[in-house]
Amino acid sequence: MSTESPATTAAAAPPLVSCRALAVGYGSKPMLPPITLQVRPRELWAVFGPNGSGKSTVLKTVLGLLPPVAGQFECAVSSLGYVPQRSEIDPAIPARVLDMVRAGVERNWSFLNPLWTWKHRAAIDDALGDTHIRALVREPWTHLSEGQKQRVLMAQALAGNPQLLVLDEPTSAMDVHAERSIFALLDDLRRRRDLGVMVVGHNLGVLARFATHALFVDKDQAAIDVGLVRDVVRGSAFVERFGKGVAEHLGASNAT
Amino acid sequence: MPPDAPPTLHDFFAAWELFADPALAGALAGALLGALGVYVVVRRMVFLSAALAQAAGLGVAGAWFAQIHLGVPAGLATPTLGAGLASALAATLMAGGEAGLKGRRDGWLGGVYLIGAAGTLAIGTRIVQEVQDIETILFGSAVAVSPDDLRALAWTVGLLGLVHLVGLRGFVQVAVDENGARVRGLPVRLLGLLLMGSLALAVSFGTRILGALPVFAFTVLPPLAALRLAPNVGYAVLWATLIGALAGFFGYVAAFLWKLPVGAAQTLTAAVLLALAWLVGKGLEWQHNRSAHKDGHIHGPGCGHVAIRHGDHVDYLDDGQLQHQGGGGREVHQLHGDAGHGHGHGHDHRHGHAHGHDHSHADDHEHGHNHEHGHAGCTVAQGHVHGPGCGHPRIAHGGHHDYLVGGRLHHQHGDHCDDHGPVDVVD
Repeated sequence: MSTESPATTAAAAPPLVSCRALAVGYGSKPMLPPITLQVRPRELWAVFGPNGSGKSTVLKTVLGLLPPVAGQFECAVSSLGYVPQRSEIDPAIPARVLDMVRAGVERNWSFLNPLWTWKHRAAIDDALGDTHIRALVREPWTHLSEGQKQRVLMAQALAGNPQLLVLDEPTSAMDVHAERSIFALLDDLRRRRDLGVMVVGHNLGVLARFATHALFVDKDQAAIDVGLVRDVVRGSAFVERFGKGVAEHLGASNAT
Repeated sequence: MPPDAPPTLHDFFAAWELFADPALAGALAGALLGALGVYVVVRRMVFLSAALAQAAGLGVAGAWFAQIHLGVPAGLATPTLGAGLASALAATLMAGGEAGLKGRRDGWLGGVYLIGAAGTLAIGTRIVQEVQDIETILFGSAVAVSPDDLRALAWTVGLLGLVHLVGLRGFVQVAVDENGARVRGLPVRLLGLLLMGSLALAVSFGTRILGALPVFAFTVLPPLAALRLAPNVGYAVLWATLIGALAGFFGYVAAFLWKLPVGAAQTLTAAVLLALAWLVGKGLEWQHNRSAHKDGHIHGPGCGHVAIRHGDHVDYLDDGQLQHQGGGGREVHQLHGDAGHGHGHGHDHRHGHAHGHDHSHADDHEHGHNHEHGHAGCTVAQGHVHGPGCGHPRIAHGGHHDYLVGGRLHHQHGDHCDDHGPVDVVD
């Protein structure tokens, strides 16, 4: 773990993700104005905006599931951790916590190697420890609460020792207590593991409190804003959509 | 055996040479279709196997029709080839046209099923004079399997079994979380095509030999049973292989013993095994819940219960009770006089607390009183009376219950509220 301050480390470190005039969308039609940003280690980026604003399109482009329409997109990480929405996993799937987390170490054709998971057992154990779910390893997925499921999916992504963690709506359908607990864990992980984190989310309150940077997207107004959270929530695009009162409240709550 | 006596198991094995091939064919097809069916059930495409089986049935009927009425040589228009081509065509259409189906996948599968079934019945009226009865194709009333068919089936099972054993973890990952597998760079498309190809091959072979009904049954019932019992999808594939083999073999035995159509007997045997698996699964679940958790989950970060630091560990507030998740299950902890803070208090498991308190005593609480008395601590709006359902978490404290408000214990004492000190709520 680095002893430098987060700001020093982040500024000195090369970017994990670089977007230069990146246009995202389906086919050849850009959905949003061009995006230029750099995500560095220890930064927690909130990607937020109203429903149907283009957040998922940005997410799919970052994950490599959707090609960019135009511009440059460089992802300089050797391992990217993806935490899907919990609703994407069949709630009735038979799987123990350990099975779910083990899946996170698979890469490319590794499933052909019978010893692959065994070789990566230390990374799996670290991921279980870092998300505080060692006590749950034998538990079936079907028995877990929403908060526990979220930690399991985070452990799965961490087991691959990623440099960048991308989370899709990690706290949907969670109460305030569980939501804050998940974000506190993310905040801790990014510092301890030198992780760059991108979170797509809805809850502005908790996102604005824990994120260091933000990408605000609004397809309807053809607007985006990028930068430090406190600047983005006071920017014209955000204020126009949510009003000045919300902007000032969120700007003041940012703890980074 | 007297002429009217019902056949026995002894009779069956006495005539083993006669029944060995069809019984083993049932077991082999059941094993293969059961294993592949796990992915079919997990990926929620059960109707696909039904549609493929019907398409294969149409292929078999089409091959006979071509032989009888079109004069195509028997060596060219074989039923096996017809079944393979028809199911491969249906599988390719369903896989390749995914984007064009516009979210109506189940509807299109229904279309393939209906065309397959109606086409088979229609062609069946033109080939009914032949030895092969159309019922054989649709409902699996075959009683004999040629050694060539059995050999070909054994090779198919061996080949596909090897492919799926080697690629097991990859197939499982794609079935459980396709997008996650894609992000991790797994060859999702290739694995999907391999699965679809295996399924088309297994279904066409199975339909040719056993009929559409048992083929559909083997891809659904053994997987459902296995998924009920197995701890994960990988084990479910192994369990479904075994259950499918048992259903295929003993279904044939049952058909002999009770003079039933083979396909129906195999389907009903698979259903009986599913019922047994369901009962065993229920029992295992009951035992699991009883031994470790009473409400289906164990306490841990994010479990949904309020976490409270209690000395050197964290406990969870569950229905007014402070519970600690230990290695052997839950333990009930007690808050002592100084609430959650760890100076000198301990805990005991269901032994009550060491030093109770009384509000009239000068114990080690901060004893505040309610707003009217001007004491600090009680921050709830005036007029709020703590009690069950008041909206604040209830917590056992000594011999009474308090209510947790903003990290402090509030105790309703007659018409006012006492502050019983702070607890360390873990964020």
